[in-house]
Amino acid sequence: MNESISNLWSIPLFIIIPILAAILLNVLYSRKRAISVTAVVSSLALIVVSVLSPFGFHWFTGQPAVLPTGGYTYRADLLGWNLALEYYYGPLQQIAIFLASVLLLFVVLIAINSLKKNTGTYISLLFLTFMSAAIVIMVNDFYHLWIGVEIGSLIVAGVVLATGEAVSQKAALKYTFFSALSGAGLAIALALILGVTGYANISDAIIAMPLNDASLASVLYVAFGFTVLSWIYAGGLAPIHPLKADVYGSAFPHATILLQTQSKLMLVAIGLVILRLFGTLPFAKEVMLSVSVLTMMIGVVMAMLQTDFRWTLAYLIVSHSGLVTLGISLGTVQGIIGGLFQAVNDVVYMSVLLLACEGIYYFGRGTSIKTVSGIAKRAPWLAVAAIIGAFAASGVPPFNGFQSEIILIQASLNYGMPELAIVVLMVSVTTFIALFKGIYNIFLRPDDAPQAGEKQGMPVPRMLYVCLAALIFITILFGVYPQLAINFLNEAALKVVYIPWVP
Amino acid sequence: MGSIDSLYDKVKRFVIEFTSGKGTSSAMTGYMTGELQTVAFIMILASFFRIFSVPLGIVLLAAVVGALFFFGPMIKAMERENSSGLNRVLFWVMIYFAVIIAVTLWG
Repeated sequence: MNESISNLWSIPLFIIIPILAAILLNVLYSRKRAISVTAVVSSLALIVVSVLSPFGFHWFTGQPAVLPTGGYTYRADLLGWNLALEYYYGPLQQIAIFLASVLLLFVVLIAINSLKKNTGTYISLLFLTFMSAAIVIMVNDFYHLWIGVEIGSLIVAGVVLATGEAVSQKAALKYTFFSALSGAGLAIALALILGVTGYANISDAIIAMPLNDASLASVLYVAFGFTVLSWIYAGGLAPIHPLKADVYGSAFPHATILLQTQSKLMLVAIGLVILRLFGTLPFAKEVMLSVSVLTMMIGVVMAMLQTDFRWTLAYLIVSHSGLVTLGISLGTVQGIIGGLFQAVNDVVYMSVLLLACEGIYYFGRGTSIKTVSGIAKRAPWLAVAAIIGAFAASGVPPFNGFQSEIILIQASLNYGMPELAIVVLMVSVTTFIALFKGIYNIFLRPDDAPQAGEKQGMPVPRMLYVCLAALIFITILFGVYPQLAINFLNEAALKVVYIPWVP
Repeated sequence: MGSIDSLYDKVKRFVIEFTSGKGTSSAMTGYMTGELQTVAFIMILASFFRIFSVPLGIVLLAAVVGALFFFGPMIKAMERENSSGLNRVLFWVMIYFAVIIAVTLWG
């Protein structure tokens, strides 16, 4: 037993830094300068840790894995019983947490600029949103998975409530109500798996899964059903999508950036766990595919009906969640890479659109396509950013959305399901129409004459343009050189398909 | 003349059914595109059944096309069913969960 314990120093930092920042920011409450320094330094620290951290594990119980031969090992890639509550930090986790921490920094900078009161409490919730996403993407045991999903959903309600509008309070209340339902469902699923396999560690449970025992099949199916329910809830897939769209639409647009990032990471993490645990069950992938297709189509159709740009984006985020899960649900290496890459791209281009939406706010007339017009004349760069975001979301080259959608289309064709490729194309085209309906009305339609006493708005902060420029750069970078991101995703896809017990 | 008038009336009634209240051009465009999208989507869903049996897929596709002509426009119903009312979402969650369990358990 010559191996050293691989308890990575960096993994606890992804949890501890946001918690400490949240506590400190709450204490600081409304001391603007101290809040700014604490929040920015903490976000930067998370970015630095995500870049510098090596890949490896963190075991909470710390004992070595037991080999089938009776020996012990700390090497997780060897077949053994890990028994531990463990976190894993690999290439997928690195790119996901790096992107999430960069977005956290941008969101924090914009929140500091735009909020007038309760800044400390609000920004602390943003840090906890990041933390819940980091937990779920790194976790390899049922306890932490459940805790991550539960904490995440409660914090979402807090972030939405912070806007202080009646519509956001309703959205938060409904979302929290369903949190009780799906959280309990996930707990039941985990209890059933624990009962059937005897292990809380996901790798161990996969090895011990009694797939050939007919007497336990119904227990596994019920566990699968409850896990899918929590996946649907955490990611906002159909039929929970109206509640999730309410959440996205009624939060501040900059906060929606983090909320949708959290959702996408949860979709990826729970989706991969479902594939690893239940991928070989009959109809498991078909159920996941059906949910994905319904989410894509319903989301994009509902986006077409909206007359407020915020709500158009809210439904498009839901619809594009279906694209992410479609790739994962295919269960092939190409499909999973497509799904993961779509998640990365989706988070980036939707952030561009949400920041453009945030910019529209500063002109003082809301985001309705009926009341706002002529913004391009007053803020041409905001219009350019919105158009680039729309092109990327619609899968137009050379932007990042094109690269992931083409992989998804190829994966669907190779899977023998050309219908899925048609659905992906339909979603792309309808996304284009829905977005440009809003962009034309808000940015390009000639401005109506201002009414007497109308709110004139305030200048768009320079920081928002800086964040937009950085995100557009990433959009083009991943569009021109997709391998830069795909290199981080290959390992996860290969493991899920060929060695699912390895996290 | 009578037949032209009645056709015009039918088309007018059909178009009015797409949206309630003041149908601005933007809203109307959205509803009409949404309707077309829904129709195409349901036809694709029906065609998925070719996986189980090609004749079943063809029959379902034909039935769906007939139903779409009979029941259209469906977009208002779709909008209603996708509202965020707690009862409605809870209802659909139960339906989904029942289908998932039924398909996996007895599939």
